[in-house]
Amino acid sequence: MSDTILEVNGLQTSFYTHLGEVQAVRGLSFKMKKGDILGIVGESGSGKSVSALSLMKLIDFPGRIKAGSIVFDKKDITNYSNTKMSDMRGNDMAMIFQDPMTSLNPVFSIKSQMVEVIRRHRKVNRRDALKVAVEMLHLVGIPEPEKRIHAYPHQFSGGMRQRVMIATALSCNPKLLIADEPTTALDVTIQAQIIDIMKHVSKELHTSIILITHDLGVIAELCSRIIVMYGGMAMEKGNIDDIFYRPSHPYTRGLLQSLPRMDSHAKDRLIPIKGSPPDLMKPPSGCPFSPRCPHAMNICREEAAPTFKVGEGHTSVCWLLHKDAPAVEGYAKGEVADAE
Amino acid sequence: MRSYFLKRVVSMFITILLITALTFTMMHSIPGGPFTREKAVPDEILRRLNEKYNLDQPVFIQYLDYMKGLLTFDLGPSYSKIGTSVNDLIVGGFPASAKIGLLASILIIIVGIPIGVISALKQNKPIDYVVMFMATLGITVPSFVVATLIIYFFAGKLGWIPSFGITNPLGYIGPVIALSGYSLSFISRLTRSSMLEVLRQDYIRTARANGIREWSVLGKHAIKNALIPVVTYLGPMIAAILTGSFVIEKIFAIPGLGKYYVDSVNNRDYTTIMGVTVFYAVFYIVMVLLVDLAYTIIDPRIKFGSEK
Amino acid sequence: MNPNKFEFIKDKYDDAETSRPSLTYWQDAWRRLKKNKLSMAGLVTIGIILLLGVFGPMFTPYSYSDQVNKYKNLPPIMKLYELGGTYFYVSNDYNIFAVERNGRLIDRIDADRSRRDVINKVYVYTYQGEDVVLDFSYNLLPSKMGYDYDLTLEYRGETATQHSISRINRIFPFGTDDIGRDLMTRILYGARISLLVAFIATIVNLFIGIIYGSISGFEGGKVDEIMMRIVDIINSVPLVLYVILLMVWFRGGGLWNIIIALSSVYWVSMARLVRGQILSLKEQEFILSAKVLGVSRSRIIMKHLIPNAIGPIIVSMAMMIPSAVFTESFLSFIGLGVSAPMASWGTLANNALSGMITYPYQLFFPAMSIAFTMLAFNFIGDGLRDALDPRLRKG
Ligand SMILES: Nc1ncnc2c1ncn2[C@@H]1O[C@H](COP(=O)(O)OP(=O)(O)OP(=O)(O)O)[C@@H](O)[C@H]1O
Ligand SMILES: [Mg+2]
Repeated sequence: MSDTILEVNGLQTSFYTHLGEVQAVRGLSFKMKKGDILGIVGESGSGKSVSALSLMKLIDFPGRIKAGSIVFDKKDITNYSNTKMSDMRGNDMAMIFQDPMTSLNPVFSIKSQMVEVIRRHRKVNRRDALKVAVEMLHLVGIPEPEKRIHAYPHQFSGGMRQRVMIATALSCNPKLLIADEPTTALDVTIQAQIIDIMKHVSKELHTSIILITHDLGVIAELCSRIIVMYGGMAMEKGNIDDIFYRPSHPYTRGLLQSLPRMDSHAKDRLIPIKGSPPDLMKPPSGCPFSPRCPHAMNICREEAAPTFKVGEGHTSVCWLLHKDAPAVEGYAKGEVADAE
Repeated sequence: MRSYFLKRVVSMFITILLITALTFTMMHSIPGGPFTREKAVPDEILRRLNEKYNLDQPVFIQYLDYMKGLLTFDLGPSYSKIGTSVNDLIVGGFPASAKIGLLASILIIIVGIPIGVISALKQNKPIDYVVMFMATLGITVPSFVVATLIIYFFAGKLGWIPSFGITNPLGYIGPVIALSGYSLSFISRLTRSSMLEVLRQDYIRTARANGIREWSVLGKHAIKNALIPVVTYLGPMIAAILTGSFVIEKIFAIPGLGKYYVDSVNNRDYTTIMGVTVFYAVFYIVMVLLVDLAYTIIDPRIKFGSEK
Repeated sequence: MNPNKFEFIKDKYDDAETSRPSLTYWQDAWRRLKKNKLSMAGLVTIGIILLLGVFGPMFTPYSYSDQVNKYKNLPPIMKLYELGGTYFYVSNDYNIFAVERNGRLIDRIDADRSRRDVINKVYVYTYQGEDVVLDFSYNLLPSKMGYDYDLTLEYRGETATQHSISRINRIFPFGTDDIGRDLMTRILYGARISLLVAFIATIVNLFIGIIYGSISGFEGGKVDEIMMRIVDIINSVPLVLYVILLMVWFRGGGLWNIIIALSSVYWVSMARLVRGQILSLKEQEFILSAKVLGVSRSRIIMKHLIPNAIGPIIVSMAMMIPSAVFTESFLSFIGLGVSAPMASWGTLANNALSGMITYPYQLFFPAMSIAFTMLAFNFIGDGLRDALDPRLRKG
């Protein structure tokens, strides 16, 4: 369809370390509509960042995209060369990272860093590039941008730096912005501001956003669709209501109980999921969550589950949804869906 | 910036004051030294010593006199060479030392840094192994061994370069290589590891994520950061070159300050030792101050005086 | 489809995590150090050098100061001329030695000074009652240029122009120096001196550094500031200058003077390191509570600081030893070393310098000893740094 901005199929990314192959992403597929805000949640180490970097094709040695295809804006970028990708990065697709304290180059001024990016993708002279940069800083709420732009990163606070990151990433008006935990390293009040900025900006500039976060509150506030990741795979996909009110995967339920929310109802107790994430060097056969799953069945340890369709646009990778599985409260049976 | 500079200059003067006081006191307390009159010294030297230091005055006054001399660059007579002053030795020897020191520094910077960068970019490739092997040899084999090997092979066996003194421009090759060997190796190792560290940093990933071209990512964003620790090493490098030149000048028979210094140590020429030590210390401290000021040019975090 | 497949598993939550055996800090570090081949090679090298330095001199027939005057400047490998079943070695200063076929020296043969022809460069010697005539005028006198040999040797009617065999010097495997001392013994003995100086100086530095650094770190405030200013000042001048001054002040190089001189200046980096560790420890809660409980400082240092900071301390020690070896040889080289006839590697190298072109082996062995030791210690240090680096643990 023409309003699809991104389509990922069977993405696999591994790191070939001297201790062995770390299978960080093991077959991720999803589709994303233009203007959507897609949330990706999952525990630490579930492969969210590696997936995001794979989309930008920023995986460094010893990592490599092993299989799968990425179609961005109707172009199959899977086999694009690094030079071609570099023309797209910052221009068509941009990314911001978790730690704003270390994500800006300390020895160059904000101005120099922003102007370089703008002039990399736009044929403009220094003055006009500076004008764009100041405008962008203004847009993300930096006071006195024409003055502050001459500062160096260390003169900015964390929240300010993240704004600069966003402003830089959006300065060439990319179609897709990938934000990898953009608020995790920030104070709660600042977090809310950054979220506001992203919401505002995506409306203003019609940017599609992939938002990676641990914070379900943020997801609830911003996202239209959600992917729940575990062990390098998507466990459940759906819209807000699907995931929050009709979670159909034991992992999603565990996650909902274990993660704090910005909007949390004061006394909800957090219940951590027992056990620890799988060793991606030797991922368990079958469902990666089975060793920790409260409803694990024999088959879960032996065979990877197919994707079950739970509702319109709502899928879950869990054997409990199989018609032969014993009934467990809250898990409706689903149909095996064709690969999405 | 202003106050940083001021602070540095003040502490520099305090340091120099302490160094001279320490040196003076030590030399003063050596039995058989110039100040104790235990040893028979030629009359001429004794006369000049007396003239210079007023040996009957209390120590403190003598020190003040010495400091007065320092301010006017008058370091007094030599204790063992009749009719020679320490000034003469410094003026006579320093240019030769400075020449090879300068050449060595240039070599270190224009060869050491690029080698380190290349090695980092070719990490774990054959060229990296070769460079790192050479660099490890360079920092572990003492300079006098390097110097003697150079003389043995290139001067002795092959006859390509003169083995003693600098009789022609080729004569610089041996001393400069021997003198720069350690720091060259150190700088290339340092540049390599610093570059590797920088390439792992988040801001490099940011630059790539913003589509910055690879040559700019490496040649602009990475290098400038990678050079910060390298520039901090320039201070110790000066020390390595100063002290290295003691040995190199002796081996290659270059009439430089280092050779005079070693000679004066061997002859127990106390006033020369004192004078040249102070000269070296002051030279080093001033150079390091200059390096540190240069440092502020590449690292904005210092210029604007933020913590850390 | 087998309906069993959809049965719930009983033993839930079994954690596969416990499978990895938990290693102590040291086991883990040792395991990783062992993987580093260069470090292990360095360790073995140092072990061998230590053994040789400690026990080696006991097994050589000479002591470090024994001089056998007739055997001066003998090389480790001798080119032997065979004449009438006897083997001769002609030294660079035209002494002739009778040697057994296997390379064992028999004796220096007597020169007949009265029949020596200095102008034509023909010397005569006697061995076992017969004349040995050495003519070394070839390629030396203007009239005798262009020969492919430099000397002829004549004995019992036979004449040799080329040496017939090369043999290792059986009695002096490393050769002798310019006054006939056995270089092997001196090198072995030099290892003792060089390493002794390095180890003691390093240990003293360690103690001063720990004491100074922990006082500075614990006291904090003004005391800390003053103590660190002192460190800054010491650090702002090349340390070798202090060492030279001290050595001059001691008026000569006793072994202990060198050790004291080295020990008294190189502690500053250790002090900085320890202070940094103390400061970061002070932030931590268990120290606070220990303090509140009135645990004494020395106990805190012994129980918390040392175990926490031992990694960086060991690494910095491993780096300090080679720099002490280096400084000692440097001092010896510029004439401030141990006093003769004692010798460290640096003094040996220095002594060999003047005859370097003629007797390169005299420089070769001490220089190689220094270089190998430095290299070995550096490899060990690099390996230790990687093995003890907390960032790399649990890898
Ligand atoms: N450069 C690398 N080399 C080896 N393994 C890596 C590398 N980068 C990531 N991994 C592995 O890939 C897995 C997924 O990591 P990833 O950073 O994507 O997790 P994440 O979901 O983003 O976690 P977090 O929430 O902590 O950011 C982890 O197990 C990690 O150890
Ligand atoms: Mg991540």
